[in-house]
Formats: sequence, structure tokens, C-alpha cells
Amino acid sequence: MEAKQDKQDSPTPAEEARRLYEEAEARTARAMEGVVGRDAFGELLARVTENVLAVVKMGNDAADLVVRNLRIAGRRDITGLARQLARTEDKLELVLQEVERLRDAVEQPSVNGAKPPARGTDDGRRTTARPRRRAEPGS
Amino acid sequence: MSAVEQLARYPVAAVEFANIILTQGDATIGATPKDVVWTHRKTTLYRYRSDHRRHALPVLLVFALINRPDIFDLRPGHSYVEYLLDEGFDVFLVDWGVPGDEDADMGLDSFVCDELAWAIRETLRAAEQDELSLVGWCIGGTLVAMHAATAERSPARNLVLLTTPVDTSGSLYGKWVGRESFDVDLVAEVLPSIPGAGIDWANKMMKPVTNWWTTYRQLWDRVLAGDGRREAYQAMARWVADNPPFPGRAYREWITWMYKENRLVSGRLRLRGRRVDLRRIDQNLLVVTAGADHIAPRPGTMPLLDLVASEDVTHLDRPGGHIGLMAGSKARNEIWPEIAEWLAERSDK
Repeated sequence: MEAKQDKQDSPTPAEEARRLYEEAEARTARAMEGVVGRDAFGELLARVTENVLAVVKMGNDAADLVVRNLRIAGRRDITGLARQLARTEDKLELVLQEVERLRDAVEQPSVNGAKPPARGTDDGRRTTARPRRRAEPGS
Repeated sequence: MSAVEQLARYPVAAVEFANIILTQGDATIGATPKDVVWTHRKTTLYRYRSDHRRHALPVLLVFALINRPDIFDLRPGHSYVEYLLDEGFDVFLVDWGVPGDEDADMGLDSFVCDELAWAIRETLRAAEQDELSLVGWCIGGTLVAMHAATAERSPARNLVLLTTPVDTSGSLYGKWVGRESFDVDLVAEVLPSIPGAGIDWANKMMKPVTNWWTTYRQLWDRVLAGDGRREAYQAMARWVADNPPFPGRAYREWITWMYKENRLVSGRLRLRGRRVDLRRIDQNLLVVTAGADHIAPRPGTMPLLDLVASEDVTHLDRPGGHIGLMAGSKARNEIWPEIAEWLAERSDK
């Protein structure tokens, strides 16, 4: 009876193999985390990053030289144009905020003819105001 | 199951396993209906549709500059956004978009003093409120803290910071990129926008066996057992694989100021001439840390609790990883209700 109970409790070979595998995996994971946590690994990573970037830089410079000599717009030119657009958008945003501030000030009825205070600042402070535009459906 | 039947399961499981991996790009994520409220450069502010908003204060969700904010709205039935909407909150989300080389000039100040500040402004305009709650996750939490510590009078009443790095001393990432030999200036000079895949590789390298082997082994085991949990796996895998680039200047500043010089916690960080002084944070504050977080470990967040001037400070420390804590299968029943309850008590007029 007791022997039968022992047989039921003891793991099957498949279960035992699985347990051993999971133990090995967990040990490997811990060991690898130990490796990547060492100073030497950090140093190696820094050097490898530097090497990869140096190669990328040489490749980029060479590609740029070829593209420029072919008189066609390269990545740098397109980035330059996109940056100009982004700066224009920055200015437009500031103008829009100023317009909204003025609109809110005009719409707020003044008391005793006093000039209404400006509402909202560019650091996020804001008093209740209308949304700039209606929400667009389906985004 | 007989040995023959078990053997026959292997080719079927192999096909299913391959199918889950190969079609993960088709997974539905970020599906809750939303409207565009405001855009600037690559940043977009969204407002989620709801017809039963009960709490006055809107909630603005802010995610990190790495990975996409879809993690807040992972998949139908398991979405933090969906949960907040059900709880009656007016939910907004700021999406930093996918920066390109033309955004290389964007620094941390651009995100804190412009994009986030303006998104807050537009949130208040759209919700027609004077105050709001900010929920920041990972770097998003740090940006929120920087905003609250810099803005002259922030309209934020409540701050929720989820697994947020504040003090990076002793962190593994700090050991890698904080060392003198890691030339972050060269990185930012050669790569105007740091490829997201590179940052993702570094994050995975922190736990190489777990990320590159155990994840797939566990999926295989589940598929073999007939419980692949396809939707859950694919949604998370798709989100993990979606890595937008990090603008060069912001990356250089993040690594230098946070990891090489650890300026934030020591009060030596300045944005546009203004000192980022964490002692100026006086909002109601909820800080959530994860016990098994290896990206923003708990000891790196704890100093914040001693620095802030807030009178109402709550700290929740729960088991889980950096992402798993908020997006894992247990989140819906464990951490989400706690956060929602904390917010609800502080979100009415």
C-alpha cells in the first residue's frame, strides 16, 4: 500500500526532465544577468557602441558624398527641409496660443471697464476656456 | 493522453506557435475610440470618447519617449484607458509620435516645457476645467515630475507616477551608459534620432535569457497545452516590437543628466534656466513601484517620497515588472482599481 502511494507521489521521468530543464534555464538566466551586470560588460558595450558608430559615420559620410556629387537631394537635405517646417510649426503654435489668449481676453466681459487678465500661459496654467477646435472623429 | 496523441500534438503546436509569432503584427492594440484634440510637430493629444463622465478632473496619460503609449490601451477587454472610462473619468493621452531626424533638436526641455505643458493647456481647454490629474509611466513619470517641479503654477492637482526613474545611482542601465567610456555625444552626433530597436535591444539585454528565450519557451508550453492566449501574447509582443526613435538631443540629455550626473535627485537639473526642484512638487502624489522592476528599480524611485513637499503622498509597492505591473494579466483586478480609487477620491470639484 505504502509502496503504491510512493509510486503515485514520485514524479514521472518526463516531469523530472522538465523540472531539471526549468532549473537549468533559471540558473542560466541568473548567470547571464550576472554577466551583463559586470563592469567589464559595461566597458565592452561602450567600446562596441563606439566602434559601430564610427563605422556608421564613415558609411553615412561616404553615402552623402556620393549623393551630393550626383546633385540629388540626400537625407541631410531632406532633414534640413523637415527641420525648417518644424520650426515654422513651432512659431505657428506660439502665434495660435497668443491669438487664443487675446480671443479669450476679448470674450471675457470686463468689470468696470478694467482690462481683463490674460488667460493661460505657455507653462500649462490655464483657466477654463473653449477648446481650440472641435474634436475630429475617427483617429 | 496517449504517447501517440501527445506526439501528434507537436506538429499542430508548431504550426500554431509559428502562426502566433508571424501574425503578431496584426494584433489589435490601442483600439478604444478617440478624437484628436491638438497636434504639434509629432505630438498628438487624444481624448477618449465617453458618455458617462462622472469625475470633474480630466486625466492626462503620459508615456515614455521609448515605445508607444498604446500600452495604456493595450487590447479590448484589457485596457487601462477602457477601465478609467468605465470608472467615469475623462481620459486624455499625449502621444509623442515617431520622431525623425528633423526632431534631433528636441531636448528634454522641449518635451517638458513645450509639448507636455501645451498638451496640459489643451486638455484643460477641451475639458473646460481648471485642474487635471497627470498619470506618468516610466520616463513619462519623470517628465511629469519635471513639469510639476518646474512650472510656475502647474494646474495639476494629482500626480500618479508609475515605475518612474528618479535616482539612477546603482542601476544596471547606469552601469552601462553612465560610465565615462560610453560616449553619448558621439551617439547623438552620428544618430540624429536614436533607433528604437537599439534602445529595445539594450532593455532586453538586461535580462537576456528571459527576454530572448523564456518568453518564447513559455509561449510554446502554453500552445502545446492548448492555451496559447493568442490575443494577450500578440498584443504585448506587437507593443514591445514597436520602438520609435529617441530624438538625439533628448537622448544625450537623458543619459548625461540622469545617468552620468544623476542631476534630478540632487536638484542640479535645469530646464530653460529654471531649476527642476522636486521639493516644489506639492500636488497629491501617488507613487507606484514594482518589486521586480529591473528598468526603474524601486530604490531609484523611493528618494522622491522624501523630497516632495506634498502633504498627501501615497506609495504602492506591488509585485510585478516594469510593464507587467500595469499591463499584466493581474493588473485589472489588482493595481488598476487601487489607482482609480485614489484618483476618484481626489477628482471632484
